[in-house]
Amino acid sequence: MSELTLLILRLVFLAVLWAFVFAVVYALRSDLFGQRVRRQPEVAASPFPSAPVAPVASAAPVAAEAPETELIQAPKAPVRAQPPPADGPARRLVITSGPKQGLEIDLPTEQLTIGRSSESGLVIRDDYTSTHHARLMLWNDGWMLQDLDSTNGTYLAGQRVTVPTLIPLNTPIKIGTTSFELRR
Amino acid sequence: MPQNSSALTAGAPIEAGPRPTFTTSIRIRLRVPARLRNVEFGLLLIACIIATGSIALVQLGATGTIDPSVLTYSAVLDLLVLVMHFTLRVVAAQADPLILPIITVLNGLGIAEICRIDLAKHVSGWDSAGVRQIVWTGMAIIIAIATIIWIRNHRVLQRYSYISMFVGIVLLLLPMLPLIGRTINGARLWVGIGSFTFQPGELGKIALAVFFAGYLVSARDSLSMVGRRVLGMTFPRARDLGPILVVFAASMIVLIFQRDLGTSLLYFGLFLVMLYVATGRASWIILGVTMFIGGALVANQLLTYVHGRVESWLDAFNPKIYDTSGGSYQLVQGLFGLAHGGLIGTGLGLGRPDLVPLAESDYIIPSLGEELGLVGIFAILALYLLFISRGFRIGFAGQDDFGRLLGVGLSFVIALQVFIVIGGVTRVIPLTGLTTPFLAAGGSSLVANWIIAALLLRLSDTVRNQPRAVIEG
Repeated sequence: MSELTLLILRLVFLAVLWAFVFAVVYALRSDLFGQRVRRQPEVAASPFPSAPVAPVASAAPVAAEAPETELIQAPKAPVRAQPPPADGPARRLVITSGPKQGLEIDLPTEQLTIGRSSESGLVIRDDYTSTHHARLMLWNDGWMLQDLDSTNGTYLAGQRVTVPTLIPLNTPIKIGTTSFELRR
Repeated sequence: MPQNSSALTAGAPIEAGPRPTFTTSIRIRLRVPARLRNVEFGLLLIACIIATGSIALVQLGATGTIDPSVLTYSAVLDLLVLVMHFTLRVVAAQADPLILPIITVLNGLGIAEICRIDLAKHVSGWDSAGVRQIVWTGMAIIIAIATIIWIRNHRVLQRYSYISMFVGIVLLLLPMLPLIGRTINGARLWVGIGSFTFQPGELGKIALAVFFAGYLVSARDSLSMVGRRVLGMTFPRARDLGPILVVFAASMIVLIFQRDLGTSLLYFGLFLVMLYVATGRASWIILGVTMFIGGALVANQLLTYVHGRVESWLDAFNPKIYDTSGGSYQLVQGLFGLAHGGLIGTGLGLGRPDLVPLAESDYIIPSLGEELGLVGIFAILALYLLFISRGFRIGFAGQDDFGRLLGVGLSFVIALQVFIVIGGVTRVIPLTGLTTPFLAAGGSSLVANWIIAALLLRLSDTVRNQPRAVIEG
C-alpha cells in the first residue's frame, strides 16, 4: 500500500466524516434556522381546505425537512413567523379560569379535541369532563365549537352548546371547571 | 395530526355514503409514511459505512492488509443498529431520527481506535480491549432495544422516582462493599466477580436523573416560590436546602472514599442543572458552585490524589511533576500525541497512540486526535454537540414537566461527561477519570449511554403524540 493511497484514503475518510455531520445538520436545518417564511402568506390567505395541504405539498420534495418541523412545533412555527393579521381566525387559546389559569396554547391548523383521554389535543382531567368532550374546528376562517355528547355539557358564553356553533373572539367557553377564550 | 388530515382529505367514503352526523366518529386508519424513519435509515447507512471504513482503515494503516475476521466486528455493530432501527419503526415510529446514526458513528470510531491500540500492543482474543468492546456494544444495543420495547411511556418512570433514588444510591455505594468492590488505578468504582468487572455508578447516573426529575416536579414550587431576597437574588429558605445538601454529601463521599473526582463532579453538576432548569433561579447555581468550589478547595488541601491532579494540571511540563509516579506523564504524552496529529492527523493506524497509558479508555480522545487530527476531533465534537442539542430539544418540546426535566437531565449528563473528559485531557480543567461517552473502552459506560439514548428516543416519540396541554383538575 503506497503512501499516496493511504493519504488519499485518510482525506476521504475525514471528508466522509464531515459529510455525515453536514447531512445531520441538513436534516435538522429547519430546526436550527426556522421554517422558510416565503410560503407563509399563501397559508394565511387561502381558505381552510387548502391550508393544511399547502405546507405538506411544499415540504414533500425535501423529505428531511417536513419531519423535523413536525417533530417540534410545526403548528407554532408558521404562526410565529409572521405578525398577527388584523382579521382571520383566532390563533391562541387562553385559559381564563381553572387550575391552569393563564396558560396559553397556539391553536393547531385545523382542529383541536378536548377531553379526558390522553389522545385529546387539550387534556382536561377533572370530574366534569367526558373522555371525548368537545372539539374545535376551523371552518372557513372561523372556529366552530362542537360538543361530543358530553355528560356535563360545554357552555359558550353561558349557553349550553347543542349544535356546532361559531365561536366569537374573546368569548368564554366553559368545560368542567376550566374556562377558556379564543384570541387572535 | 396526520391522521386527522388524512381523515379529512381521503374523504371518498364520506362523500359517497349518506352524510354522517357530527357526533358519529369517523375513523379511517391510513398507513402514515414513516418519513422520520426513512431519514434515519439514510443516515444510518452513512454511519455504518463510516464505522466499517474506520475499522478497515485501521487495519490497512497498521498492518498494510485488511484482516477479514476483524471486519466482522463492524458487521456486529451494523447489524444490531439496523435491528434497532427496524424495532423503532414498529414501537417508536415518531422518535428522533438523528440520535441513532450519531451514536453509531461515535461507537464505531471508538471500536476502530480501540482495535488500533490492540494492534499496537499485539494482543488478540479476549485479552484485547477491542473484542471486549464489541461484545459490550452488542449487549448495550440489545439492552437499549429492550428498554425501548419495555418502556412504552416515559411517565411510567415517574412512579418509580423514589425507588430510583434508592437504586441510584445503592449503585453508587456498591463498590465500597468489601468482597465485590474493586480498586482499579486508585479509584474504587468497580464491582467484580472473577475477571468480570462493572462500574455501577454509570447506571446510577440514569437512576439519579429519573429521581431528580420526579422529585423536582413535585418539589418545584417550594423550591422556586419562597425565599429571601439578598442582593437582587432570591435565595431559598434554609429548610429547602435539604436535598442539595444530601446530593452534595453524596458527591463528597464519592470524592473522599471512592477517590473519584469525575463522578462526584458529574452527579453534583447534574443535580444543580436540573434544579436550575426546574426552578429558573440563578441563586441555586451560585449556591451550588460555591459549595463545590469550597469542597474542592478543601479536598485539594486534604486529599493527596486531588492535590496531585491539580498540580499536574497547572504545572504539567515541570520535569519534576512529569517524572513522579501519578504525575503529569500521561497528560503530557496525550498532549504530545495531539500535537503529533496536527491538522489532519497521522491517519488511522499510522500514529503512536499506544505510548499514552490508558490510551483506549480515558485517553481515547488524544488517540483519535493523533490519528484523525484537529479536523477529526472537531467532527467528533460536532457529533456530540448535535446529539446533546437533540436531547435538549426533546426536553424543550416535551409537554409534561417530568419528561422535560428527564430529557434535559439525560442529555446534560452526557454533555457534562464530555466536557469533563475532553477538558481534562486537553488541560482545560484538572484531569479526572471518566469515560468518553460511546467512544471509550468500558462496558458499563456503553450500556448506560445506550440506555440514555433509548430513553431519549422514547421521549421524543411520546413528545410527538402528546397533547398540547394537560389540565389536571
